[in-house]
Formats: sequence, structure tokens, C-alpha cells
Amino acid sequence: MAKISPVTGHYVDVEVDGLLYKVFYLENGTGTPLVCQHTAGCHNHQWRGLLEDDDITANYRVIAYDLPRHGKSDPPENSEWWTEEYKLTADHYAKFIVALCDALELENPIFMGSSFGGNIALQLALRYPERFSGVIPVEGADYSPGFYLDWWQHPHANAAQVCASGVWDLMAPQSPDADRWKTWFYYSQGSEAFKGDLYFYSVDHDLRDKLGSIDGERCPVVMMTGEYDYLTTPEDGQRTASQIKNASFIEMKEIGHFPMSENYEVFRGYLRQALETLRGKQPARA
Amino acid sequence: MTTATRAPAPADWARAFTEATDGDPEIQAHGKYFTCAYLLDMTDHTFVVRVVSGKVAEIAVDPGPIDVPYQFAIRASADTWRNFGVPVPAPMYHGIWAATFQRDMKLEGDVLVLMQNLRCLTRQIELLRSVGVPV
Repeated sequence: MAKISPVTGHYVDVEVDGLLYKVFYLENGTGTPLVCQHTAGCHNHQWRGLLEDDDITANYRVIAYDLPRHGKSDPPENSEWWTEEYKLTADHYAKFIVALCDALELENPIFMGSSFGGNIALQLALRYPERFSGVIPVEGADYSPGFYLDWWQHPHANAAQVCASGVWDLMAPQSPDADRWKTWFYYSQGSEAFKGDLYFYSVDHDLRDKLGSIDGERCPVVMMTGEYDYLTTPEDGQRTASQIKNASFIEMKEIGHFPMSENYEVFRGYLRQALETLRGKQPARA
Repeated sequence: MTTATRAPAPADWARAFTEATDGDPEIQAHGKYFTCAYLLDMTDHTFVVRVVSGKVAEIAVDPGPIDVPYQFAIRASADTWRNFGVPVPAPMYHGIWAATFQRDMKLEGDVLVLMQNLRCLTRQIELLRSVGVPV
């Protein structure tokens, strides 16, 4: 008998800032929507372990989408995007996620993202606290400079390999080879978007003087960071969470910057802890 | 952080690093164009590693000033390298990017050549986890 996964894929039209996107997402489960953002220059297969986690999908509707220009979500349908340099901004990125949640008619979803997805989770909590029942920034920080580099797209080097091997050290040596190599493989597919994503990650995203404005009572924040993450270290995560009202921070041992993808078995324990912590922080909703 | 293992003699290390590289399945599967020369500056000892088509052609041990040319350099303190030379390195000693962002490692010279060879070079540096370091 064929082994068919319960995970299904769909496309949904999303319009934001006058740009029309045909967005691909994978989903599985029922319950509270848990909307998952992959890391920069990558795609939704990073969430493959979570999407097939029976324990979590029994209580959560896990939705892992490809951001436009990643995976199966094309660049805009209605613009000559090839005539412009791609530079993702916090404003467009945050509006896109809200528009996607609107298109899918999600009520009080939890948003979880890793790396540049962790940083946008913080931006969402700041900008749209009324739209989310909580956010889980993974490997995020108030500010993460240093990765907006020309090397990701340099015509004299193999961009696919530079992106993939350039992020290799972000993973922990303890993570299984097979999962680290899958993550490497995903990164070999996304070099054209990676640098533009990192414009948001390392340049446009800067919440150093805004963390106190995040309404962490209305939109609780639970941050998680792996100890092998050299870009946003556990100290960065701790520092960020400590400045957000009602926020918590979880340090993850023996794992790195792509925890859901490099070692889901380790990540899932911390994720359950994060979801439990988030449940304990829920405000009464009208 | 230091490790308790005794450092191999530089010449012995050079032989072991050569054998590990030339016998590594990943480098040999993908190293057809892995060709470059780089300086490993471990403070107490320096090495110029010259790789041609994925095989180590020569390792110059403690070369004199302007003696052996190289394209880029990977420099760090002996202590940092000692932390690379263990089976499971502690955080921030698990790769050249990590140690460059968070510790005292420096990537210098023609970094484009480093980037052009990044896939195999990353693997080659990881061989230090089994070969150890001579400092």
C-alpha cells in the first residue's frame, strides 16, 4: 500500500502593496493555526518534521508557506520584477503575512518563524499585535547585522554553493548529517532570493529602540535560540526577550540556526515547551 | 577553552591532513575543481596548503617570510584552533564562519578564491575534528 503523507499543498492568491502573489503553502492538522515562516533563501520543506508531527498536528493547524520568490511561490505575477534589485523590507514582509492570514481566513493564528522569520515575528508583534494570539521568534533578535553580503550573489563564485556552504556553520555538529545535508540542499536552490532577504534581516530590521513598544500582553512572545547559532546568539535572544513585556526566552542546547530543519527531534521538545509557555500567557479574548 | 589532547608534530600533522583530504569521500566526489593555496595561521605554527583538483599537492610547514605564495589566509590563535581540533567542537568553534563572526579568526587575502572553493574547503577544515591540530 502506498505511503501517502497527510500533508497537503495549495496555492492561494495574495495581494499586497499592489503586487499579486500566487503563494504555495503546505498544511496539516486541525486546531489553532500555527503559521510557519522558513529562513532566508530557503523554503517550506524546512518544516517537514513539524508538518508530520502527529502530536502537534492533533491540536494545531500547521501552515508552512513559501514566501514569494522562494520554493514554489513565484515572484510577483504583475510586475517586471526582473528589472529591479530584490530588497525585502520589514513593511512589505509584515503586510504580506497579514494579507496571507486574511486570505486563508485564519482567526488568532500563532506565527512562528526562524532567522529572518524570527525577526519578522518580532515586527508582527510590534505592528499587528491584535492579529496574532502569539508569536514564536526562533533564532531572532532585535538587530542582526553582518549578513547582507555580496558573496551570496557574486558572479565569479558558485552562488548555490556559497549560499549553502556559507550557512553550514550555522548548524550544530550534533545534528544528523542527513538533515544538515537536506538543509544545505535547500540552500543551494535559493541564491537569487537570499541576499534580498538579508536586506531585511541585516539592514532594514532594527528594533533596538522599539522592543518596549511591543504589546506582549496582547500578543505574547516566546523566543527560542540554539547555542550553535553564531548570527543571533542565545545572548542576543535573551537580551531581546528581556526588553519585551511578558516575553520568555528558551535556549536550545546542541542545535543551531535552523533547528526545525537540522534536528527536528531535538527542536520538537523545545517547541512543545514554547507552545505550552504561550498557552500560559494567553489573554482573555473577546 | 582548551583541550587535553597532545598536539601532533607539525610534519606529522601535515601528513595526516594530506591523507585525510585525499581519502575523504566528499572532497573526492566534489573536488574536481577544488584548486587553491591558502595559509593556515595557527599562531604557533603556520602552513601553506596547496590543493590541486581535490588532492593536497603540498603542505609547506612554517614557511619563511615571502617564501611560499598563497591566495587567502585563515588566521586564529592557537587556542581557537585547538578548539577546532576535537570531535565535537563547542559553539563558535565549529566552523570558519562561526569563529570569524564570534571569535578571533580572520579570513584575509583574496576571499573570492575562498568563496569559489567554499564547499570543499568547509569539509577540509572539518577534517581537523578527526586529524587534530598541531598547536
